[in-house]
Amino acid sequence: MKNFGKVWAVLIVILVVILVFGLGIFKWYIGGYNRAVGLDEAAKTAWSNVDTALQRRLDLIPNLIETVKGYATHEKELFENIANSRTKYFQADTVGAKIEASNELSGLLSRLLMLQENYPQLKANQNFLALQDSLEGTENRIAVARTRYNEAAKLLNSYAREFFGSFFCKRAGVMKVEYFEATEQAKTEVPKVQF
Amino acid sequence: MRRFFVTSSVFLLAFPAILVVNASCYAKGDLPMPAQYVEDYANVIDNAEENSLNGILQELEQKTGVQYIVLTVRTTSGIPIEQFAIELTDRWKLGQKGKDNGILFVLASDDRKYRFEVGYGLEEFITDQYCGSIGREILLPYLKKGDYSNGIYQANLEIVRKIASQAGVELTAMPKLSPVPIEQKRIGLPCCSVLPLFLFLFLLFSGGGRRGMGLWFFLPFMLGGFGGYGGGGYGRSGSYGGGGFGGGFGGFGGGMGGGFGGGGASGSW
Repeated sequence: MKNFGKVWAVLIVILVVILVFGLGIFKWYIGGYNRAVGLDEAAKTAWSNVDTALQRRLDLIPNLIETVKGYATHEKELFENIANSRTKYFQADTVGAKIEASNELSGLLSRLLMLQENYPQLKANQNFLALQDSLEGTENRIAVARTRYNEAAKLLNSYAREFFGSFFCKRAGVMKVEYFEATEQAKTEVPKVQF
Repeated sequence: MRRFFVTSSVFLLAFPAILVVNASCYAKGDLPMPAQYVEDYANVIDNAEENSLNGILQELEQKTGVQYIVLTVRTTSGIPIEQFAIELTDRWKLGQKGKDNGILFVLASDDRKYRFEVGYGLEEFITDQYCGSIGREILLPYLKKGDYSNGIYQANLEIVRKIASQAGVELTAMPKLSPVPIEQKRIGLPCCSVLPLFLFLFLLFSGGGRRGMGLWFFLPFMLGGFGGYGGGGYGRSGSYGGGGFGGGFGGFGGGMGGGFGGGGASGSW
């Protein structure tokens, strides 16, 4: 009888240990899984902000070109290139393609803004100045959104490379994301946006 | 003798260090949460304008909830002013949570650059174009003349006026017609660089046996001791030349969680 009680006690202790251990593993698993999902969501939200800012810039372009056209009559090629890369952006369906198209656009737009050096009347045009403010503001928004996106992407990507992180990312179907790097050209040509 | 030697060598080593620390004091993105609505670290705003603007911006927050900070620094230490501004607003979180109604005006006097950083919630009517034109038409002409004080005052007043009228409130502190007369420029060293130095020297020579770690342990406290909330005439750089405190207002209470997305405009002169 005495022995029987002892066996029970040992069994209960083992059971409790297993339960605690199991609960620990369960919590750890849930935590790791949720972290993968959370990081993925954060990166997606950050990207959608980038997308909004990029979209905003695209909306500005027709007006801007209309205004500049009246003064800079010899820049047909530039206008065409801008229109083309704008279309390219609309057609892009992956993040990578969008990044590429928008970097191309950044370079072209800064060239457009630089036209004011060759066409002094443009500099004096109130409409142009206002559009320039909008464009600069939008470029800055893109830069801010891009920085935040890259931060979110870095968190996600480094988690996806960790030993357990990669396991959880696979379980949750979370993939690494692409960084939004400004091209060297865009960096040098748009002095306002040096993030 | 040996002890004296150690003390003086610590001093000699530390002296350039503290000068460097002070020179860059508040120059980078490590500024403390403003204690006043106008934080004139570059010492370019005259007392009259600063007091007036402080009062107006406080009334603006009381009546509309908009948190509007006017900041001047000497330099942003090579960081683009756009990045400098957004880093500060990310940290200070000006404006109310959910409403995102904060504005930060930054002027870097040595860099000759300025920026209006507008919170999400105000972007709709304080647009980039509006900020750009305020900068070009009101601020720049004053800046080019070297009258920073009036330029900052007039330009920010104009924006405040727009926010107030948009919110449908009347600000009693607002001047009706002409700008406040310009007072004589005050003299005096900014306390920011002098006070910590004295504290440091005091601790150094009174410390006796406790050197090295002990001293450096206090350094952050000395430098960090200026970030107090709620005002009071407690030697912050420039504001009132370190002296007493004229207006009857309580100071800025800290950001309320507002968000910024890079809206606004910048310029240079």
